[in-house]
Amino acid sequence: MILKIAWRNIWRNKKRTLITTLSISGALFLIILMRSMQFGFYDNIINTIVQSYSGYVQVHANGYWDKQSVNNSMEVDEKFINEINSIDGIDNIAKRLQTFSLVSKGEKSKGVIITGIEIEKEQLITDWDKRIIEGSKSFDNADRIILSKGIAEYFDVTMGDTLVLFGQGYQGMMAAGKYVANGIIDLKNPKLNENAIFMDIESAQDYISSENIATHLVIDKKEYYDEKKIAEDVRKAISSDYEVMTWKEILPELDQMITADNVGGLIMAFILYVIVCFGMFGTVLMMTEERMYELGVLLSIGMDKIKLYLIILLETIMLSSIGVIIGVLTTRPISHYFNKNPINMDSFGEGLGDAMGEFGFDPIMPFSINWDIPISHAAFIFGISLLISIYPAIRILSLNPVKAMKK
Amino acid sequence: MIETEELKKTYKQGSLKVKAVDNVNLKISDGEFTAIVGPSGSGKTTLLNCIGGLDNPTSGKVIIDGELISSYSSNQMIKFRLNNIGFVFQSYNLIPVLTAKENIEMVMLMQGYNKQDMEKRSSDLLNEVGMGDMSKRRPAELSGGQQQRVAVARSLASKPKFILADEPTANLDSKSTAKLLDIMSRLNKQENITFVFSTHDQRVIDRARRVVTLEDGKIIKDIKK
Repeated sequence: MILKIAWRNIWRNKKRTLITTLSISGALFLIILMRSMQFGFYDNIINTIVQSYSGYVQVHANGYWDKQSVNNSMEVDEKFINEINSIDGIDNIAKRLQTFSLVSKGEKSKGVIITGIEIEKEQLITDWDKRIIEGSKSFDNADRIILSKGIAEYFDVTMGDTLVLFGQGYQGMMAAGKYVANGIIDLKNPKLNENAIFMDIESAQDYISSENIATHLVIDKKEYYDEKKIAEDVRKAISSDYEVMTWKEILPELDQMITADNVGGLIMAFILYVIVCFGMFGTVLMMTEERMYELGVLLSIGMDKIKLYLIILLETIMLSSIGVIIGVLTTRPISHYFNKNPINMDSFGEGLGDAMGEFGFDPIMPFSINWDIPISHAAFIFGISLLISIYPAIRILSLNPVKAMKK
Repeated sequence: MIETEELKKTYKQGSLKVKAVDNVNLKISDGEFTAIVGPSGSGKTTLLNCIGGLDNPTSGKVIIDGELISSYSSNQMIKFRLNNIGFVFQSYNLIPVLTAKENIEMVMLMQGYNKQDMEKRSSDLLNEVGMGDMSKRRPAELSGGQQQRVAVARSLASKPKFILADEPTANLDSKSTAKLLDIMSRLNKQENITFVFSTHDQRVIDRARRVVTLEDGKIIKDIKK
């Protein structure tokens, strides 16, 4: 009966109910789309940079990050990897050996980052296969390399072409060799696409004249695990001869950019919530004040104050529920559409895509379809309803039936 | 039995203290059909509100069947009203979003009736007041007289010890008033339900078997016919 009274009460003033629910759904529509766009953008950045390249956690020899040289590499054996792998939350680990070199073909040359990888393990972490756009997905032979898209374009490489690599090897040795292009990879990161060359880790060790060394251990985490906690656990498990870094420490500017943008979104959401809050409060205020007489009657015929409050609370929750349902249902198809068809940043203005490329981001903005976004904001709206219902609760608690019915 | 002992109710109006009910001693036995009459401002409604526990007396006692209800807390009083007192108001005061039947059932629901009993009793009560065929109508779809008859049925829903009716005919035409009084009178005689009215409607006074006259908050006349 209380439910029935509440439901019918909200439709006593249809216009007011429609305006209130539309203001809730409108604000929620804007908030959800804005946050879906932001989180989709962050996910895309993290996906292109973290998941497909840097990993969530990295282990290096102490001091490597400040002075990135093969002379600061570490010896890595299976026992060491197994020790780390036993830590809760770690999905996969891959070794990498990274060095800087000069690559040349014909008259052209270019500075590049050579990365020696274990291709099977790399596949598990960075989904290697899916990003190969031409040629073979593996190295097939010790002198084979896979080039990033930008390098292939720069040197106009076709499969089977030979490139010369020249650089500094381990402990002052000279590194040089001829390598055959075996594949082209699109790293989905304009900056990385300009300067990355991959070869088998053993070939890379041969290239720099050293055995069993690596510069990076790249760690991928299981879903929903916190990389910070994993990094702490790894630190505890291994000696202090190693440095353990999360992707946020490896790429602090990326983390700062996401944090700053996220705060901007939260401020915007806060402004919209304030508007919703006042709109809802106005309605609840009217719903309470204009019915004081009726509430007095209910009290006089024996309805207790808790039930009276429940009626108004239910009305407030129903109003917000209608708004929330409309808001969530209208944003869902839009989020799904832009998740499948991401907005190209160039459509916001000429050169914007290139500018983002300079920062190493793919210039697309896919929307996130994670249910956490609508659910968290819907829950916030319900929280606001509960907060607003404090006002009628106070009015009802102090309600005197005679005074109420005199109004 | 309703009893008041030295009942006083004083209101503040600015710096003035107004004695709405002044030292009222009254006994109303079960089955009475009593009208409390007097000019406007004589304290009829305030006396009724004090008897019904809607208002707290400034001093004195209200005793219902030996229970001193004037000492009850607000929550105790709400429960007491629900189970012991039926109210009929001048402006009917039905819940506008509920149908005639639902308005009656709401009281029983608060008392914890089961659905079947509730439906049967609400139908019986509506038939009793001649509104059986309008059970699904909402108050806005009923005339004033019809609404007041539903209000009477609602006041009976909780099987109260007595019914307090505050100017129940004030907004009704003579035909509706006669019909309503017939119903109340029949309920009083057949079911032995106690009715206490505050009124200055001569038609009600004529039908009452006891008339208590108030002036300036004091009983100046108490006539049993």
